[in-house]
Amino acid sequence: MKKVISLALAASMALSLAACGGAGSSSAATDSAAATGEGAAAAEATTIKVAAIETAYGTEMWQKVADAFTAQTGINVELTTDKNLEDVIGPSMQGGDYPDVIHLATGREAALTEQFIKGNLIADITDVLSMNVPGEDVKVSDKIAGGFTETSLTNPYNDGKTYLAPMFYSPCGLFYNAGLLKEKGWEVPTTWDEMWELGDKALEEGIYLFTYPTTGYFDAFFYALMYSTGGPEFFEKATHYEEGIWDTPEAQTCFDIVTKLAQYTNPITPAQANDQDFTQNQQLVLDNKAIFMPNGTWIVGEMAEAPRADGFEWGMTALPAVSEGGDRYSYTWFEQCWIPSGAEHQDAAKQFIAFLYSDTACQIFAESGAIQPVLGIADTLEGDNKLFYSIYDNGAKAAMGNFAAFTAIPGVEVRTAFFDPVNSLVSGSITEQQWIDGVKSASDQMRANIIE
Amino acid sequence: MNKNKGRSRFLVLCLAPATILFFVFMIIPTLNVFRMSLFERGAYSPNETFVGLKNFQMLITDTQFIRSMQNMILLVVIVTIITFGFALVFAAILTREKIKGQNFFRIVFYIPNILSVVVIAGIFSAIYKPENGMLNSIIGLFTTMTDPILWKGETLVIPSLIIAMVWQAIGYYMVMYMASMSAVPESLYESANLDGAGRVTQFFQITIPLIWTNIRTTLTFFIISTINMAFLFVKAMTSGGPNGASDVALNYMYSQKDAGLYGYSMAIGVVIFLFSFALSAIVNKATDREPLEF
Repeated sequence: MKKVISLALAASMALSLAACGGAGSSSAATDSAAATGEGAAAAEATTIKVAAIETAYGTEMWQKVADAFTAQTGINVELTTDKNLEDVIGPSMQGGDYPDVIHLATGREAALTEQFIKGNLIADITDVLSMNVPGEDVKVSDKIAGGFTETSLTNPYNDGKTYLAPMFYSPCGLFYNAGLLKEKGWEVPTTWDEMWELGDKALEEGIYLFTYPTTGYFDAFFYALMYSTGGPEFFEKATHYEEGIWDTPEAQTCFDIVTKLAQYTNPITPAQANDQDFTQNQQLVLDNKAIFMPNGTWIVGEMAEAPRADGFEWGMTALPAVSEGGDRYSYTWFEQCWIPSGAEHQDAAKQFIAFLYSDTACQIFAESGAIQPVLGIADTLEGDNKLFYSIYDNGAKAAMGNFAAFTAIPGVEVRTAFFDPVNSLVSGSITEQQWIDGVKSASDQMRANIIE
Repeated sequence: MNKNKGRSRFLVLCLAPATILFFVFMIIPTLNVFRMSLFERGAYSPNETFVGLKNFQMLITDTQFIRSMQNMILLVVIVTIITFGFALVFAAILTREKIKGQNFFRIVFYIPNILSVVVIAGIFSAIYKPENGMLNSIIGLFTTMTDPILWKGETLVIPSLIIAMVWQAIGYYMVMYMASMSAVPESLYESANLDGAGRVTQFFQITIPLIWTNIRTTLTFFIISTINMAFLFVKAMTSGGPNGASDVALNYMYSQKDAGLYGYSMAIGVVIFLFSFALSAIVNKATDREPLEF
């Protein structure tokens, strides 16, 4: 009898242990199939899996869009959203189980999208552009605003084919407290010379000219800076790591401006420029301890609850021009949506992407503050967003694109080579020349490994 | 005979679950790390190419990796020494001396250990904040500071990490030492007292030798846990910044995986594995003494 009991105990222990091991793949999926009803289910039984990153816009809009898509096409959608989407879908993708549509931008720390680009693992969706938007009689390419499907962010291999669909765009620029400038009677600088003048004036009153959340925010800043010093041509060459490009006067101007800006930066910035404390750097602007910071339109929502100086009012400006009358640029940051080439239901997935540009979807997204890059959307905006999105109507040019993809090189990344040293420039532990040398040597290796 | 057979079957049944799970979730992945360090592949791409020891060759010339290893070794050494010293002294005081509120101190020292690292990172974020942070405010009471001290700035970030890690670890080791110290018979101290030995002499001549086995074990714990903890603290507190000043090897391994260099990051894993193994073995050998009994 005793033996039987101990056997039973041993067996139950084995079972419970095994159960612990198997429970690793908890599912964060929220099933929207229930919303389809019986009518649509009869038409087509396809279910596509959509995985979307949860950002400041929330997840509700994705559920609504998925429901609207199902109602329109009869294709069921199994939606997964998470703030750390990489950790949720990553393990199963390593096992060969891919979602059909992934909405996840480049530039995140886990760099999942970049890895798929580098590995040639993304399906070509050029034909989506000539598809009709489900439920409408318009081609997708006629809806997407000009230029969005011609950048290296959507066509990473420079072969004229589109692999990533442009999503929610946001003009990036320098954000500041408009109330403070008004109160002090300071003008928003239009050239860098005026910028330095303002910096000296502000410092006398104990206000620093500049801060940045983390060095990651320098990408949009630096892209726009490259555009304004050398125009699109220089940008194109620089982002393809052309030989000798960093020795040109245009490049030198970029380096000089960032270095000088580092001297005008609030010195406590680098100590808080990490993922844990970056909001404290943003707080510096709200507390009038720094005037400008590079950021995107999401900042308004992100800092909505934060305390702020009296009379605070968000303002946003494009980068100052290099010389009087020169071009001013504002980088257009946008997210991407794509289909892994290992996805099961490619056709249905393409329909879903096309649907993301429909009037219905655009409206649902806009209600949550996510603005799709479709023509004429700026006219429908209200509040702060109206001001931000009208930046291009007020004389600023749009800067788009990014550094060309290269096969991964140990220890060499765009951010660590180009932008992280700004922290050291601010604290004064490296010189401008050391930074430039680092950029050059990284750039040489990137050129050698560029993906064409 | 029959009874014996049933018994061994029972033993096998009892041991099988743990053995199988250990094999599947520990041994196979570990072997896999070694295998994958010889290949180059992205985390999500299905194809891998055999590159032999190329990953390790590149490691030697990768200055960022070398810096992250240096930081890790620095943390392991300094954190171990400081924690070890404090934990021993506190344990001795709390077991040997009659002080008021003994239990209170025991709990206070132990609490950091039950907090998760992310919570600790949040606490220290508030302490180290350049403006209105606790530390700078306290220092500001005594001197006039023109510029705030940047505790998470490039020069001070490693000492700041050390303080947080020591604070977190002291309680755990203190409790372990207290347990073995209280097992040392009181009579030994009494006779030492009669011989005129002071408290310090008693500590070094009686307490330390008698809990030596315990100290040896915890030293191994120190090495392994500091390597892991360093990653957690860096990840949660500084993300390796500013400009890589606080990067540690495990964090670098993680970032290289994200950069799409799965094989390379596995090579880093192999180096860390061998390093911690070797270090534990050396420490174990160096601290080998004839165990004393009481």
